[in-house]
Amino acid sequence: MEFVSPEGLRLDGRRPMEMRQIRGEIGAVAKADGSAFFEMGNTKVIAAVYGPREVENRSQQISDQALVRCEYTMANFSTGDRVRKPKGDRRSTEISLVIRQTMEACILTHLMPRSQIDIFVQVLQADGGTRSACINAATLALADAGIPMRDLVTSCSAGYLNSTPLLDLNYVEDSAGGPDVTVGILPKLDKVTLLQMDAKLPMDIFENVMQLAIEGCKAIANYIRELLLENTKQLEYRRGP
Amino acid sequence: MQEREEAEELVTPGEVLGKGSQVKAGRGAYFSPQNDTVYASLTGRRSLIPPSSLSSDQRPTVEVTGHSAHGAIPEPGSIVIARVTKVMARMASADIMCVGPKSVREKFTGIIRQQDVRATEIDKVDMHLSFRPGDIVRALVLSLGDARAYFLSTAKNELGVVSAESTAGATMVPMSWTEMQCPLTGQIEQRKVAKVAGQA
Repeated sequence: MEFVSPEGLRLDGRRPMEMRQIRGEIGAVAKADGSAFFEMGNTKVIAAVYGPREVENRSQQISDQALVRCEYTMANFSTGDRVRKPKGDRRSTEISLVIRQTMEACILTHLMPRSQIDIFVQVLQADGGTRSACINAATLALADAGIPMRDLVTSCSAGYLNSTPLLDLNYVEDSAGGPDVTVGILPKLDKVTLLQMDAKLPMDIFENVMQLAIEGCKAIANYIRELLLENTKQLEYRRGP
Repeated sequence: MQEREEAEELVTPGEVLGKGSQVKAGRGAYFSPQNDTVYASLTGRRSLIPPSSLSSDQRPTVEVTGHSAHGAIPEPGSIVIARVTKVMARMASADIMCVGPKSVREKFTGIIRQQDVRATEIDKVDMHLSFRPGDIVRALVLSLGDARAYFLSTAKNELGVVSAESTAGATMVPMSWTEMQCPLTGQIEQRKVAKVAGQA
């Protein structure tokens, strides 16, 4: 199948190095300590953060750092064909784990011993790159909750189809079976916290593809920073002098 | 004295606040020893606090104050308002409702042990003649206590029961530091009464 037309356009009309439109919103769940909505093109996710709070299950309590928990779910209506029982399958457990590890790497857990932080992410609409969108939403929600972090974590995927590196794959490109590299970085510290790849790539091409994904992450980080600053300004304005 | 110097600005997590040799990391900031840099860990306003002239370390402290309001948390030395939930022979347990002037958002339990009820004759204290379930008590946080509860103390004149209901259901009037009277029935009940400021 042709994923990049001779004119250099992808199936959805993007250039190979172009990202989908990203949009974020802070404060989507009123009850949560921090929450956010994040969309990358047609992929839409919502994240809610609770905590730091007392550990529910005492046997899980860690005496010198916070316990981070994460739950990833997909809404029944998020994909084209309705899934009957989406919770607890292997895919969501794996993504929950991946998001938890990524977020744990950036939260300053040693500041909040014997407490627990819960991150809930739900996919409202899935169109590829849900993992990345969830991580971005979780970062935004954590920052909204005022949880101390080393840096923002942002994530973006990139692939390699028709001998072209493509940034931010959508569902059709994702299910083409080509290599799909998901990268999560701490943009200011220049550190990688997540790197996953399906399929194989030669080393030199992999480096290009990963570099492309990192560029995507940095663009998202800039957007998230602007969003946070704008939100803080708004809050201060509403609070008054 | 100038409290804050330099223009304040908004920062987000991960932004560089300065070199470790020039500034110290305060709240909302952290120091990374690998590259000797101080970074922000919260979203909010940056502020520089000059060092106190007494300390040997003359670096200013950089702080980031976020907007999100966390609930108050009891810590040793703070005065709390608590509601007594259970009175036992050697201790009374209470739910902490306020820390200083702020109300708490989560549930914190405290324990007033027999030896912490009053300052004198501590071994003659009868818990049942000091507190009743439902009493509102002003207490001092002694320590973080055990895994379950904070240790509270009422061993001061201004600490103890500040508000209590009689069996008849009326709010009782304090008579002395050990007695309270019901205004409806005239019945006198025993309590460890707090001396509230502004009261004779």
